[in-house]
Amino acid sequence: MSEAVNLEKAYNFLLREDLASPTIGLVLGSGLGVLADIITKASSMPYRDIPHFPQVSVEGHKGNLVFGKISGKTVVAMQGRIHYYEHTDMASIRFPIRLMKMLGIKTLIVTNACGGIRTDLYPGALMLIRDHLNFVGTNPLIGPNDPSFGPRFPDMSEPYDNDLGSIALQTAQQLGIDLSEGVYGGVSGPYYMSKVELSLLRLAGADTVGMSTVPEVIVANHCNLAVLGISCITDMAIPESLSPLTHEEVIEVAVQTRPKFIKLISAIIEKMPYP
Amino acid sequence: MTLRKQIDQGCLYLRQILGQFQPSIGIILGSGFAHFTDSIDVLSTVPYGDIPGFPLTSVEGHDGHLKAGKVQDINILAMQGRPHFYEGHSMQSLSIPVRIMKSLGIGTLIITNAAGAINPIFRPGELMIIHDHINLSFTNPLLGPNLSDYGPRFPDTSTTYDPVLISAAHDVAKGMNLNVRDGVYLFTSGPSYETPAEVRMMKKMGADVVGMSTFPEALTAKHADMKVFGLTQVSNMAAGLSDQPLTHYDVLKATRGMKSQTASFLAQCISQF
Repeated sequence: MSEAVNLEKAYNFLLREDLASPTIGLVLGSGLGVLADIITKASSMPYRDIPHFPQVSVEGHKGNLVFGKISGKTVVAMQGRIHYYEHTDMASIRFPIRLMKMLGIKTLIVTNACGGIRTDLYPGALMLIRDHLNFVGTNPLIGPNDPSFGPRFPDMSEPYDNDLGSIALQTAQQLGIDLSEGVYGGVSGPYYMSKVELSLLRLAGADTVGMSTVPEVIVANHCNLAVLGISCITDMAIPESLSPLTHEEVIEVAVQTRPKFIKLISAIIEKMPYP
Repeated sequence: MTLRKQIDQGCLYLRQILGQFQPSIGIILGSGFAHFTDSIDVLSTVPYGDIPGFPLTSVEGHDGHLKAGKVQDINILAMQGRPHFYEGHSMQSLSIPVRIMKSLGIGTLIITNAAGAINPIFRPGELMIIHDHINLSFTNPLLGPNLSDYGPRFPDTSTTYDPVLISAAHDVAKGMNLNVRDGVYLFTSGPSYETPAEVRMMKKMGADVVGMSTFPEALTAKHADMKVFGLTQVSNMAAGLSDQPLTHYDVLKATRGMKSQTASFLAQCISQF
């Protein structure tokens, strides 16, 4: 299985670089890559230097694996996300998540910028992801199963860890930050949804809509990582009042939300039960 | 090799093996139905690997053998074990076994599976007769060039599951004093099980059970103007409907319970169809 071989090569490469052993992995979403700046004792490894690591092309997404400390915990952050709409193959989504698993992470924190379908999810709001709907149109685990990562049919009854969710809500309350809860609707993109498609997603039970996260979270659940997901709402995706949207607007809101976001994430990480 | 060639070579190979034996009913034995082969007077067993073009299976609980034989004097061809989309097979290659059956002269296809209950009144171990399906896989086995020998470019699916067979199965169940459910099967690619939010959505959509098979075969059969009968054994309650996480082991265990009754129901259905 060449994927396993490639992962091994990337893993061995990183071992030789003598980087700290992370317990927490972070995937930083659009406009949120700056979170990597709060990592202390940081060493940054460009994706292009890591054997077989998929490359990023989206504006607002750098391409570095950043190792170091947040709130005293050892982390590795993907500064720059690998999207399905860029790569059109799920192997590229699996690769970074499985590599971080091999590096020893126990928890994966996924962040994203997304549209709010529910009316109370205004631009700038933060939402704890409780569950998701897979409308991506495919599944990252289709194909031969690699049992060294997990079972053929992974359970998804708690895709986002309840205990980590409680920690996040508690932390937000202590900091006086509004943290909503909801269901993330994952689509492939790259086009923004039509009004009727948004109505359908809302009917299906989605509170937000975005182009990432779902495949990563399926891969993370498969290899038994506890997942915490936090969305930054960057635009209103309400069918009745939909206005044209650009990526620049999304980034702008994400940038404005950064201070609140950084404060929350670093406080949550501080409370995590890992070194 | 083109799809057409794969089907033709597989068909040619099987004709040589089967000789004068002419099956009239095909049956696909899904998770938990493999034991039905005990009810077949088997005349020949052919490993999938021997059949040119035939998709192979890799999942525990799914052997890969084609069994030709008799059930209550009816000639049948049974697939013990099935290839699935989540294993990495293309939808087109999943159409091959059904199309080979059609070319061998089979007019009726019985499709069985184990699936998770979305309808909260269903219980593990119960049987459900499939009345319709929902395809949530975003793909289907008829994409690509149409094989017009089998059916039209745009096949009607206003009734995929034959009402006459459904009613015959109900009569059999009544005669056996067996409680069967009726419902809609929702197909997802898998292989990850559904999340609770997805299960709530599927319920709203009108699904009674959710599974990772059956639709590709049912659509291929309908396209080829075969009569289709679908039977689900409920293996578990879908996520959010019970407190327990899901494992494939549970699925296999639940379907083991009702072995003999299920087998005799299927056998009687075959004789009534």
